[in-house]
Amino acid sequence: MLEIKNLQVSINNKQIIKGLNLTIKPGELHAVMGPNGSGKSTLANVLSGKNGYEISGELNFNGKSLKKIPTEKRAQRGIFLAFQYPLEIPGVNTNNFLKTSLNSIRKAKGEKEIDSLSFLKLVKEKTSELGIDEKILSRQLNVGFSGGEKKKNEILQMKILDPNLSILDETDSGLDIDALRIIAKGVNSSRNKKKSFLVITHYQRLLDYIKPDFVHVLSDGKIVKTGCSELAEEVEKTGYKKLN
Amino acid sequence: MHDFEINFEKINNKKITLKEKEFRNKNLKLFNSLGFPNKRLENWKFTDLKEIIYRNFDQLDVKVAVPNINKINLLKDFDHNYIFLVNGNLHTSNFNHEEKSKIKINSYDNDFNYPTSTNSLICLNHAFAENGYSLEIEKNYKFKKALIIYNFFTKEVKNKILNIKNKIKINENSEIHFVEYTINESKFINNVYEHIVLEKNSKLKSLYIQSNKNEGYFYKFLQNKLHYNSDYLGLIFSSGLKFNKMDIECDLIEKNCKCNILSALFLDKNEHQEIKTRINHLAPNCKSFQNVKKVLCSKSKGVYQGKIYVKDNAQKTDAYQQSKALLLSENAEFDSKPELEIYADDVKCSHGSTSGSVDEDSLYYLMTRGLNRDDAIKLLVKGFLEDVVEFVKSSSIKKFVNSKLEDRINEH
Ligand SMILES: Nc1ncnc2c1ncn2[C@@H]1O[C@H](COP(=O)(O)OP(=O)(O)O)[C@@H](O)[C@H]1O
Ligand SMILES: [Mg+2]
Repeated sequence: MLEIKNLQVSINNKQIIKGLNLTIKPGELHAVMGPNGSGKSTLANVLSGKNGYEISGELNFNGKSLKKIPTEKRAQRGIFLAFQYPLEIPGVNTNNFLKTSLNSIRKAKGEKEIDSLSFLKLVKEKTSELGIDEKILSRQLNVGFSGGEKKKNEILQMKILDPNLSILDETDSGLDIDALRIIAKGVNSSRNKKKSFLVITHYQRLLDYIKPDFVHVLSDGKIVKTGCSELAEEVEKTGYKKLN
Repeated sequence: MHDFEINFEKINNKKITLKEKEFRNKNLKLFNSLGFPNKRLENWKFTDLKEIIYRNFDQLDVKVAVPNINKINLLKDFDHNYIFLVNGNLHTSNFNHEEKSKIKINSYDNDFNYPTSTNSLICLNHAFAENGYSLEIEKNYKFKKALIIYNFFTKEVKNKILNIKNKIKINENSEIHFVEYTINESKFINNVYEHIVLEKNSKLKSLYIQSNKNEGYFYKFLQNKLHYNSDYLGLIFSSGLKFNKMDIECDLIEKNCKCNILSALFLDKNEHQEIKTRINHLAPNCKSFQNVKKVLCSKSKGVYQGKIYVKDNAQKTDAYQQSKALLLSENAEFDSKPELEIYADDVKCSHGSTSGSVDEDSLYYLMTRGLNRDDAIKLLVKGFLEDVVEFVKSSSIKKFVNSKLEDRINEH
């Protein structure tokens, strides 16, 4: 599904990712762990097509290069990013936004727009699964949402848009244990043979609830170690320093 | 160079009383000595109207024909009463949703007792105004449906300068909600002087909107007098005019008044929109609130000059004003000049003004959800204007306003 070869990324003449290799197959869930500033969010942004980076190396999604594909086309092809810091968008109603977003993706796929009734049903189902108070959906997008509500809203969008590759950038940071469980449940129920996940986290905690197929440790722009879920526990015990 | 000195004959060959003749002649003389306003005047600091007029008009005539109109097209978006104006003249009115005995509607009855003004456009208006309407709502009457004031201009107004006077009076305990809806396809200047009087405990909601993009150059001087516990709301959605200046002066002359002025505009091409306000807090315990939002594209220009004046006895005044501009082009211009002049000590007054371009991170966020750049910008633009649009409480009128705004945004 996703193939990254010798990825190098700079911004403002500062190199942040320094030769990263990563392959994710359909159905796999990969965790990327790393200290603050190691380039985790940069990797997530480069995958979803944020402007402003200088990029070299290969970046393939379903066999095709992503490099020239703009952000919205990547989303339409099934790449989703749950933001570490979801943005507040004043004046934009959350529900309308969700619908607009779903419809632009459906349209790009040549499907017809979802009707209001089916959309309502879909939203009801997903919000109740994630324990989201439906009332927040009538509010402005992320405006005045608590940290937990923002993160849940990201996962709600993921569930509604139903992407093939979901990138979760520190979705667990700042959540209490109950919210963490709910989010993990939401992710786990979306897992299947076709869907892939790249779960970025700073702590091992989330991986108690979401079992990764592979764990990678990112340090100073490179993957310094890859292993299975036990690696996460090792990192937790010894810290990132020892692994370098 | 063009010369718009206007001829006395235009006035003198009419059969009028001596008083009227003197009044008009005096004001015409004043206008001819002052000329159209330019940037040297504090109230026109950001706008050289003289230059704008000279650049866009070769001739200007003050005589305007009022043609016969047989069929009028009404909006079907919501139930309403209406006044239909043709080139500023009262053509028809219909108050079928209301108790007709409570409403007086007439052509404007000119009087000639105005004090001398230093505003040359007002002088010009005094010199020539004949058209207009006068609306009065009796005591203790609340309108059931909105009133649409259809402000329809025919092609006969081309290259003319219309001078119009209107008056609206809402008596004690009465309420009305009107929408001034302008339909125009001609290039002309509209110079309006309007009075609004709100008596004790009365309430007025007014909304200004254009049916379409057009070549109108509009100036409106709005003089509002608010009596005890009255409530004024002005919502300005007049995107689409070539030039528009709303010059609003509100006197809060008795206690407990509320005055809200809000505007949401989307400007494109060379459009120029200016809102100038002067809120005079002349009595204690009044509240005023202003929120002006403009989205500026290509070479458009938005101006906000807002002044809050608080007289020494106007204690417990609560006054706020803010203006925000979202610039979608490097060639667009936004000028803002907030001013506070306060002589009372126990007051709450504040102001703020910001302008900036679209937030790239917000765009990126929306685009990761499948929206293309244009649609993401549109969503942010509508979101930016939403806190003003939200003041329109009726859902059908709100839908109407939104569809007009969307037309402007989509034409961009
Ligand atoms: N726009 C930018 N300009 C310069 N440096 C940046 C920019 N964005 C991020 N960085 C730097 O890149 C490094 C990696 O950042 P980031 O990917 O956010 O790390 P992480 O998500 O792992 O905490 C940090 O040192 C950060 O300061
Ligand atoms: Mg990060």
